[in-house]
Amino acid sequence: MIALVRYMFTVMLLSQRYLAPLLLFVGLLAVLTSSDSGPLAATYGSAAGGMLVCSVWLTMALIGLEDQTHRSVVVVTAGSQLRVLLGSVGTAVLWCLPLTAAGLVLPLLFGSHTFTFADAVLGTEAQLACAFTGIAIGVLCSRLLFRRQGYALLLALILLLAVLLAKRVSPVNVLLADLQNASGSTDLLGSTAVLLAISAGVLAAAVATTQAISVRRS
Amino acid sequence: MLRCESVSKRYGRGSWILQDVDLEVSGGDVLAVVGGNGSGKSTLLRILVGLSRPTSGQVAGRPRHIGYVPDRFTAHERVSALSYLTHMGRIRGLSGAAARARAARLLDQLALVGGRDASLRTLSKGNAQKVALAQALLVEPDLLVLDEPWSGLDASAHGVLAELIEEVAAGGGAVVFTDHRAAITETRATGAYAISGGRVSPLGGGHCGGRFTEVELTLTAPVTGAVPREVNWRALPGVTDAARRDGAIVLRVAREHSDAVLLTALQHSWSVESLTRPGVDRASRVGVGRAAR
Repeated sequence: MIALVRYMFTVMLLSQRYLAPLLLFVGLLAVLTSSDSGPLAATYGSAAGGMLVCSVWLTMALIGLEDQTHRSVVVVTAGSQLRVLLGSVGTAVLWCLPLTAAGLVLPLLFGSHTFTFADAVLGTEAQLACAFTGIAIGVLCSRLLFRRQGYALLLALILLLAVLLAKRVSPVNVLLADLQNASGSTDLLGSTAVLLAISAGVLAAAVATTQAISVRRS
Repeated sequence: MLRCESVSKRYGRGSWILQDVDLEVSGGDVLAVVGGNGSGKSTLLRILVGLSRPTSGQVAGRPRHIGYVPDRFTAHERVSALSYLTHMGRIRGLSGAAARARAARLLDQLALVGGRDASLRTLSKGNAQKVALAQALLVEPDLLVLDEPWSGLDASAHGVLAELIEEVAAGGGAVVFTDHRAAITETRATGAYAISGGRVSPLGGGHCGGRFTEVELTLTAPVTGAVPREVNWRALPGVTDAARRDGAIVLRVAREHSDAVLLTALQHSWSVESLTRPGVDRASRVGVGRAAR
């Protein structure tokens, strides 16, 4: 699996397709968090929102990189379609890690905050929860299920709006609302960890769905 | 080793691409699947390697190490050929150094033009095909599946490909390849199947080993109006099949007995309408012969 992720990471790196979502993320951080001096919980809520959009883009770009023939070769080489799909998801998570680090550090540079360890943990949890949900959407809208990119993009936008706006149902909506209304980071650590776990479950469900549909169609 | 049992395939509610395919491959076999464009060769290979799931029927005994060479290896990637192969080797469980060494040796053997450090996207069709071939052989495969491997390769690579196929078979691996020309399968395969109209049938010596060398002989009554004498064709040595079709008699004869059978036919006042090697151009006749049997 490490070799698979390493290969996919390299292909993505050389293709430079990561650049646009990365720049969008930094841009969103700059716009949403500059000259901000409020509690860091709310600031990291903005970063997590940016992460949601960028992780969808990254995942769709990553899976769309290889054409069907190349993917076939990788599937036979790796031994199963599921393993390759998990490799793609692992690579997407790996790409989101430097983004998470940027999301933690850049708001401190753009605004004026007092930074605590609890803030760092909360920021990481929140961004990863959104990254997992974003990757789940990205996998569902990837080339594995959609040959036509227009439809995939449309569905991705609808799903993004749904997870952002569905009150009390979507972990992302609950998370962002909690972060906006929080006064201190320590109180939210537990509930955010639960939301992170739920997001990981959403990602697992999306992977299972994608695998089931693509195997049926293959 | 690998066994297909009444495998059928269609996409969605489309027409059947494969129907009731029974096929068996054992270690050491070199099996050719001959068929025209769009006859379902590639679909059959995708099912064999596990990329595609049959609509009905099953594939049993798929080995662990499979090498798959697709028919088109259009590479859009910026990684170099050597780096790509090293990555593939690592995914197959080799160490980086071992994968790199094996890849370099294969690329040397196949004489990759354009340099092993050239990115995949800059390679010509033939050279990309060589990379595709090399990736399938990084680890000695138990099953090597090649989709039209000869197309796009230059003459010198043809020989190397034949050597590589023989190496795999000699090492106890099974090889299945497709081609639309019967001629190539004749010299390279130990058994052959014809695929036509979604049906797969053994060609020539079939699966029992030995180079498949059979001819198809079509006999009619002579145009002079003479009435040919009846012959018990099946009793003649080398005749594997005899069928009647539109007043003509279609015989399948082992190559070494074809002259004797031809002589017998002429002595009995039969006229020779055609004499062909059963292959892609005559693949449909195989079905006719089987139906009449």
